[in-house]
Amino acid sequence: MRDVYVAGIGITTFTRLEYPLSEIASYASMMALKDAGVTEVDQLYVANMGAPRVNHQTALASAVADSLSLLPAGAAAIENGPASGAAAIKAGFQAVASGMDDVVLVAGVERMREVNNLEATDFVATLTHPLTEYIYGVTLPAHAAMFTRLYMEKYGVTERHLAMVGVKNQNAALNNEWAHLQQEISMEGILDSPEAMTNNPYVAEPLRFFDACPVSDGGAAIILVSEEKAKELGRPMIRLSGIGQATDTHAVFEREEPTDLLAVRKAAKDAFEMSGLTPEDIDVAELHDAFTILEIAESEEVGFFPKGEGHTALEKGETALGGKIPINVGGGLKGRGHPVGATGVAQAWEIVTQLRGDGGKRQVEGAKTGLSLNFGGFGNNVVCLTYVRED
Amino acid sequence: MSVDLEKILRPVESPMKPYEPKYMMLASGEAVVVRQVFRDEIPDLLKAVEPLLHVERDYYDVVAARVYAELLGYYQYRFQDQYVLALQVDGELAAIVNGRQVTPTLGLSLHTLALRRGLRIGAHGFAAKMEYHIDTLGHNEVLVVAESPIGFRRWMIEYKLEKRFHIPHELGGVPSWALTKELFDRARSKLVVGRRPVPPDLLDKAMDKILPPSDPPTPPLDPLAATRALYDPTATALVTQRWEMEKGAQNA
Amino acid sequence: MAREIYAYKCRLCGTMHYPFRMVCKGCKQNDFFEFDTVPLPKSGKLLTFTRVYNLPAQYEVATLGLGIVELENGMRMLGQLEIDEPTIGMAVKGSVEVVRKETYDDYYGMVFTAA
Repeated sequence: MRDVYVAGIGITTFTRLEYPLSEIASYASMMALKDAGVTEVDQLYVANMGAPRVNHQTALASAVADSLSLLPAGAAAIENGPASGAAAIKAGFQAVASGMDDVVLVAGVERMREVNNLEATDFVATLTHPLTEYIYGVTLPAHAAMFTRLYMEKYGVTERHLAMVGVKNQNAALNNEWAHLQQEISMEGILDSPEAMTNNPYVAEPLRFFDACPVSDGGAAIILVSEEKAKELGRPMIRLSGIGQATDTHAVFEREEPTDLLAVRKAAKDAFEMSGLTPEDIDVAELHDAFTILEIAESEEVGFFPKGEGHTALEKGETALGGKIPINVGGGLKGRGHPVGATGVAQAWEIVTQLRGDGGKRQVEGAKTGLSLNFGGFGNNVVCLTYVRED
Repeated sequence: MSVDLEKILRPVESPMKPYEPKYMMLASGEAVVVRQVFRDEIPDLLKAVEPLLHVERDYYDVVAARVYAELLGYYQYRFQDQYVLALQVDGELAAIVNGRQVTPTLGLSLHTLALRRGLRIGAHGFAAKMEYHIDTLGHNEVLVVAESPIGFRRWMIEYKLEKRFHIPHELGGVPSWALTKELFDRARSKLVVGRRPVPPDLLDKAMDKILPPSDPPTPPLDPLAATRALYDPTATALVTQRWEMEKGAQNA
Repeated sequence: MAREIYAYKCRLCGTMHYPFRMVCKGCKQNDFFEFDTVPLPKSGKLLTFTRVYNLPAQYEVATLGLGIVELENGMRMLGQLEIDEPTIGMAVKGSVEVVRKETYDDYYGMVFTAA
């Protein structure tokens, strides 16, 4: 298997974007192509979850290939729920590692704000089990809320811990000019003042408004290349060193221990094994904080902290910029936004930015290794990636 | 014989008890003051509303156009019994809400225009004006319509408004909804917040001058707007420039 | 006759499934339909729960109670809750009722109340 490097990265502002879907993907891709210094690719993968349903568009990859004048490169769209982005990166990795392709463009894109908030919530809810979950009106916030309640009961996580994650990530987004939320929030405003419960109402008890990521439009792209090509291009050598992917039961209630996220555990374990790294080696991480509880739970399942201690590490500031393992320094999904198909690629964009030392105000000093975790479904399809900077 | 036409054109204003200012904390930790704005300060509001006419998203254009007309109508004595409340953060205008008294027992809500987003300022403003109608003016119910889906979700669903579809609302003649005193009392504990009296320093700052918002809603963003490259929508010039600089540094 | 929700029991190894699967998760041998249907029990205890405020558009109610219930036979299922103040571990009983309406279709599911 050949080594695979990230030679270029690109992103659009995450916000409401009134552009055709393929154009959003193309904007991000153009930046990535320019960043890498390539004009031709062998293959492109476009990660997207909702184009047929939300944007009334199919065969997105063909549209993007043509829009970028990359013809006659191979092109395919990859739909894997909210883990589409990292799944597309995995496909790109396989294409280069196998020796079949030398340059692969992986773009992720979503335009969810074309429909109203309720429709967007319903669209994401279609990933739940149709006959035993979806029909009851289950949404992703509902799943996360039931999971949170168990976590609170079992490990002593409180609404304060959740709010701490929210404040940390939303305020981190102020250091990321591409992030959706550019509004500072405070513990007092969302938790402690007499007005806090009106400012921060329940979305699904016990989860509140500021515990959930916003609905965003946006695109992100990376260029994956072989070692030879990477050296030729001369960009910083960021190697995609490990990939793990795992699945779990479709219906969430079937899981033996409902507070476990076994697919996260397995995906991270496989990625660490492949890369020869351990959780202690990671300098900067992007976790899938679609809901604040997920950052806490994933930080444990990935192996940064023992099970049940993620929230105490959070209290000590270990997950903040400057802490032991800075998590979501660019805002995470909570602050950057969560255009579902784009998120996995946007996480890679953030890690590569960090490993190149281009993080500006949010730079993790001397970051050499990174990890990103893209969480699909409610933990039923998870992809974990690790990255290493080689000098 | 001369007729003072202006006397005929000007509506006779009904006495309306003024709104007692209050303040509350926002999610950001900032304090927002809600207070009534009278005729002499309307030009300050108009200046802030005018740019929103050109924000063609989230119904800012249509709402701003109508609010502008209402405020101007109030300012030039062409509006019957209108009141205007302003929400200010550190003096800066964060939202405008207005409405009018139809009869001593019936109120009518006109607009809620939030100039800062993501902090439920619009929701606080709407709650404040319902409070003014029901608690201060003693109206039995308030007629409401929504022009945007955001408004519809907030008011119709959060307050569970009753239908008054036989009454065309003054805003566009569309069927009305109503917030009754009973519905308001039910929503009160969850949706209506605020503390009184407003500390003098906060109130003075708000009363001193309505400052324009420093970060008002803007027309739809370009995907790469964060690069701040006005005439370079793809940001290629900016990125290329960076590479040139990097190359230059290497060659030097 | 009261409506039922069915679990699927593998004829080869006896493993119970809910939801339905094409291949048995126990013996992985079931390569064509070899399941017996067994009605799910209707009482159990509440494992976790929530009240949802942002519902998909077709719901006419403002909020919806949802919970995961561990049934008498140890299997679990998700259902709607009609319980004012649920607590973890409380005993609940269910009945099969309409849980979602779409334009021309009614969907049936379990609705739990306090036992």
